[in-house]
Amino acid sequence: MSRSPDAATPAELTARIAVTLARVRQAAHVSVGCSSRRPVWSYRRTTLYHYLPCAGAATARRRAPPRPLLICFALVNRPYVLDLQPDRSLIRRLLEAGRSVYLIDWGDPEEGGHTDLAEYVIEHLGGCVRYLCASHDLSAVDLLGVCQGGVLSLCYSALFPARIANLVTLTTPVDFHTEADLLGRWARGLDTELIAALGNMPGELLNGLFLALMPLRLAQQKYVRLLTAGLEQSAIDDFVRMEKWIFDSPPQSAAALAQYVRWFYQENRLLQGTLQLRGQPVRLAAIRQPLLNLYALEDHIVPPAACAALGRHVSSRAYSAHAFATGHIGMYVSQAARTTIPQHISSWLDARRSGASR
Amino acid sequence: MTDPHASNPFRADAAFTAAAERFYELLKTFGAPAAAAAGRSPDWTTLAAPLAGQFEQWLKMSQFGGPWSGTAAPGGVGHGFEAASPAWLFGGLPLGPAAAPAGEARHTFELLGKLAQLQAQLAVHWGEVAQSAARGFVARMGAQGGSHGTPADALRLYELWVECAEEAYGATVRKAEFCRLQAELANTSAALLVEQRRQAESLVRAFGLPTRSEVDALYAQLQELRQRFGDSGAHAAAQADEPAGAATPAPRAARSKPARRVRPRGKRRSGRGTRG
Repeated sequence: MSRSPDAATPAELTARIAVTLARVRQAAHVSVGCSSRRPVWSYRRTTLYHYLPCAGAATARRRAPPRPLLICFALVNRPYVLDLQPDRSLIRRLLEAGRSVYLIDWGDPEEGGHTDLAEYVIEHLGGCVRYLCASHDLSAVDLLGVCQGGVLSLCYSALFPARIANLVTLTTPVDFHTEADLLGRWARGLDTELIAALGNMPGELLNGLFLALMPLRLAQQKYVRLLTAGLEQSAIDDFVRMEKWIFDSPPQSAAALAQYVRWFYQENRLLQGTLQLRGQPVRLAAIRQPLLNLYALEDHIVPPAACAALGRHVSSRAYSAHAFATGHIGMYVSQAARTTIPQHISSWLDARRSGASR
Repeated sequence: MTDPHASNPFRADAAFTAAAERFYELLKTFGAPAAAAAGRSPDWTTLAAPLAGQFEQWLKMSQFGGPWSGTAAPGGVGHGFEAASPAWLFGGLPLGPAAAPAGEARHTFELLGKLAQLQAQLAVHWGEVAQSAARGFVARMGAQGGSHGTPADALRLYELWVECAEEAYGATVRKAEFCRLQAELANTSAALLVEQRRQAESLVRAFGLPTRSEVDALYAQLQELRQRFGDSGAHAAAQADEPAGAATPAPRAARSKPARRVRPRGKRRSGRGTRG
């Protein structure tokens, strides 16, 4: 099965597809998540995990213990994509670089769909930050916000700037009205009161929306390419692992989803400076801490312009942005994610840390 | 290491099998005019017509323009690996309008009628997308030429077809008219579901069964009781910081359930929570 697809005869192509299908079936039970971790704090359905240091990590070479790095992932997907498998793990690379890594797992929302964005930001994310500050005897931690989790992280950092020493945003939308934002166009006419009345929204529904952005490519072409490529079992395992993550979407709290659609996609409040959480204004201009903004140039979910806008609205003097030639999910699992992105984050945090005191 | 969704039904091969079937269909479509042409340049218009037809049908079945608006066909591509699992969608009346009192049933019928109308309008868009994809494909094939008889050629044609189809799709689904229609479809589906739930609540109440909202209310009370008695020594996560520039504490903070520190293995629970 090692001949290139171009050289295949019809009979060979048929055999190749049959073999690939057999390998796909074999891969059905691949596991996901690879690094050792333990739960250290929980609040309602949210669990904070601490990843155990890697053997031989760079920690020993550090003079000062690293400040905890808290990762805040999106509500709409499971966070284990950041630690999918040993050679595709942003978390493992950060551990190897000697960082002390914590991850928020939101779990499934409680029945009734009443958990709102303010609760997620102030109680859930805020609770994690406060736990880390208390347990490490620190006044502030480093925060890495991913995608929608980056939006929540921006909100928290704007509300409680003293709690965040350094902020990193990864594929984080800030301007929800950019030309290329197809999700934004679709969301603009939605009745958010109806969404809020529906109770928790099943993950399949959002999956359907994400696939609908490029249906033939995402729901057909990628399978055909895999079937005809004649890949080995390990490559098929990798593919299936990724597919598992894509279709393992948690339900969404109706209240939070409705607010997210209205406040961000429809009214663009974060950029406009009109967002309030529990009556407190959330102003990007209040963010003064060092900020690293990483985003993808080929992102079909969060267009690069939606992320790049951040630099124009925060007050951080130490702001830097870097765009990668990959797609949205590529930022978590591609070659760049395996090496360049964690290195970038770690060396940027090290640079901020040097000379800083607790 | 872990499989967090091991309890979910997971059919790894379903999407691939469906993709393989569709691909063979396409190979047959691609192969026919090439074989018929036997050395001459194939008639791409003849090829594009069935491709467009298959694409239009696929879009309709998959409900890509509004995943809330109807049930995808079994094995449909809209749900990838989840194709075999029952996807929750807004469609499908659990009771049927006849189960509701006359006034409510009329409203449900009105919503159903509106939904059907909107779906018909959406189908017109899918037809236009398919035709536009076909035109783009013919134009680009006419310009390219080359051989078209082997599986490798078919794969190249397939890739080109996907490119043309996505371009046509992308152009349509960005139009304001399409976006309005899609939003209306979603809103109507949601309204229908809300209506169904209301009717279901009336019905279960009539049978003396607990309703969804009653169960939710009980759950909320349980949470409050847990908060009050379960871990009274713990400090609430809600003992939040003062937001920057805030004059008063966050108003809802005191209502929240206490946070708890996860007990390390082998040690007794300390009964003390954490605070920031």
